[in-house]
Amino acid sequence: MRASQAIALERLLEGEELGKKPAALLKGLGAKLVRASNLPAPRFGSSAAAGEESFLESCVLGLPAHTLIEVVGRRSSGRFSIGLAAMASSTASGESAALIDLGDNLDPQAAERAGIDLARILWVRPRRVKEALSAAEMLLATGFRLVVADLGLSPRGGRFVPDAAWVRLQRAARSQESTLLLLVPYRMSGIAADIVVSASAVRPLWQGNGRVPRLLTGIASRLMLERRGRETPGRSAPFSFAVAEAIRAGGRCSTGALTSKRNQAPDYFRLRAES
Amino acid sequence: MRLACLFVPLFPLAARLRSEPELKGEAIAIFEGNGNAARVLAAARKARKAGIEAGMTLPQTRALYPKLIARGRDLECERAAQEALLEVAESFSPRVEDGGEGVAYLDLDGLPGLSGDGQGERGGPAISSAPPRFGVPRSEKSFGHDLIVASEKAGLPARAGVAASKLAARVAAGLPDSPAVVAPGEEASFLAPLPLARLAPALEIAESLERWGLRSIGELAKLPEGEIASRLGELGRALHAAARGIDTSPLEPRPAPLCLSEGLDLEWPLVTLEPFLFVGHAALERLMRRLESQAIACTRLEVTLKLDPDGHDARAIQLPAPTCDTKTLLTLVRLELEARPPGAPVVGFVFTAHPDRPRRAQLSLFGPAALSPDRLATTIARLASILGADRIGSPRAVDGHRLERFTLTDYSPPPPPRFTSPRRTGRGLLAVRVLRPPVSLEVILPSEDSESQGRTPRPISVKSVDGASLLVSGSVRIASGPWSLEEGWWTEAPADRDYWDIELTDGALYRVYRERGNGSWFVDGIYD
Repeated sequence: MRASQAIALERLLEGEELGKKPAALLKGLGAKLVRASNLPAPRFGSSAAAGEESFLESCVLGLPAHTLIEVVGRRSSGRFSIGLAAMASSTASGESAALIDLGDNLDPQAAERAGIDLARILWVRPRRVKEALSAAEMLLATGFRLVVADLGLSPRGGRFVPDAAWVRLQRAARSQESTLLLLVPYRMSGIAADIVVSASAVRPLWQGNGRVPRLLTGIASRLMLERRGRETPGRSAPFSFAVAEAIRAGGRCSTGALTSKRNQAPDYFRLRAES
Repeated sequence: MRLACLFVPLFPLAARLRSEPELKGEAIAIFEGNGNAARVLAAARKARKAGIEAGMTLPQTRALYPKLIARGRDLECERAAQEALLEVAESFSPRVEDGGEGVAYLDLDGLPGLSGDGQGERGGPAISSAPPRFGVPRSEKSFGHDLIVASEKAGLPARAGVAASKLAARVAAGLPDSPAVVAPGEEASFLAPLPLARLAPALEIAESLERWGLRSIGELAKLPEGEIASRLGELGRALHAAARGIDTSPLEPRPAPLCLSEGLDLEWPLVTLEPFLFVGHAALERLMRRLESQAIACTRLEVTLKLDPDGHDARAIQLPAPTCDTKTLLTLVRLELEARPPGAPVVGFVFTAHPDRPRRAQLSLFGPAALSPDRLATTIARLASILGADRIGSPRAVDGHRLERFTLTDYSPPPPPRFTSPRRTGRGLLAVRVLRPPVSLEVILPSEDSESQGRTPRPISVKSVDGASLLVSGSVRIASGPWSLEEGWWTEAPADRDYWDIELTDGALYRVYRERGNGSWFVDGIYD
């Protein structure tokens, strides 16, 4: 719409360019119309004015309902772990959750170790982005309170998904009072996402120094809140995930760096220490 | 004993219109026979007004009304309509007899909320559009009216009659002023003024009675039974008893059917899928409506196709969970037929639904929101139809050391707890994206020294092979390993691997392994 047309419409809504009666009529009609800028901004519960810690909680652990949350991150940024943590939190409280796994990447053993109640998880393994989005809409309509859609490492055709599809998903999530957690390698949902979190400054954490032996204990990254409703706050918080064996060996998993007391190799292998 | 009869006039026509509702209001006639020898079995009101009567041949009807829509008799269609009529009757009474084409008898004895005194015939506003109030007995006429309304909802315009015997109920149901109620003990007086044709006597007996000048049932009933029996034989004696309202035949309830079916014989062969699905959609919708009316769902759908010129093609679609969703079933039928086309034109089809109880759940008032089992079943069935049954389910870990293995089970989540518990934080474990299948790698190794010493050499640089599904490339910054895995040495496909956790220069973390048997390298996981 050109500027002149927009001004004309604005005047029309105000009833300035009409006679007395039509103007009154249109004012009545105009009273029922709401400009997009005047629409109430979505609110996300008690965590709106919280600090960094509660930002993490609101993003991952206490997921705000009725929202589409997009977590963006490159390989090894921890976004898949965020999805599993969300599902662990949801199923631990007795809710059912769905995982749409475009890359067929889930390891049920690891998911169980992460605290997920597998009996409450519906695992959907689509082959294409379009199938994944259709599945997400169906699952939201079914009443799943949490739907995690992981679009894999490099979703083919992901950039060509029309914006309307994301808006539909956002509306489905809102109407069903559900949460759609979208794990993507790059921004995909456009303006539809209520919350956008990006994982950056990823740093693998290794135990041991020098030549050998070394042990992977986890990753540390920084989550940046890029969008929340209409705000672009830009707040960030450090975040880390640990390898299970490192925790068992005495490591600490929380916000901040990991520490571990002694070296221990992964127990899912039959070990043969060679070095 | 009180019985009700549900009767569908012009049943072959009514059954056809139930299958093809778009023909309602048109001048249509149902024919039996082939070619020009085909004769009218039943005709719609518009055709009858044009002078078309039962027994006319096709050329005769065309001469009277050139635009007449002629349809052959469809026995499959009539069978489904009869089943639907019986199901309507069973929704009112547990004891229902199949009385043949378009006729069903219901036992009214002991039905709650029904006053069995035949009131409504004698006076009072019998027909009421309002539903009966709980605990207030309704009249038999009102009951008959409800029967008619339910039949019309099922697509069958029916008439109803209530009496103490099947004969009287059947005759009452045949009257145009429906529903008709015959008070107990007044069967003979009810039948007396009616024409003899209402008793449907055999042709020879009807001719004899006409020659005697008998026109009404009452006139026959007045004659002595012995004289009738001596002249007309056993059939005449039975007809005389019927004329006096005596019918001792008991109600023979039918057993509950094991499965429900709907079908149609097509006017012309179909060779493409879309027209078939268009016709099949209506049949499936009718089938699902019947299932829903009995509060059951379909757990297995059988599709039987009648092929041209002869032969059948039968196939079964097993559903992951019972459902009544037509769209889902139609999608499954489409996928099944696309995967395995019948190989010949289709001239008829039957859908048979094997029923099962739909999943039910008691939802909690204070606990977390539970999923509606019916909606869940429908969603799973739809997703299974789109993605394939092996692409959806509940994951389960498999005992063993190989990380890529898993099993899928049917998704049937346990009921949620009665009270909502506060959310707990996850354990914060780093997850591994498993790559299925593993991606083959080209690896640069430092030297042959370590290998000569029996160790797996530490990788320096990795690159996925050309054409791999995932691009992995870079120099190894840190490598941790090797961790040995050996499993199933007694099997044909043993696993004997050395695993490494590697960090590439771009910061990505991979889990790679080397097959000790042939020395080839693979990446089977990404820490993410």
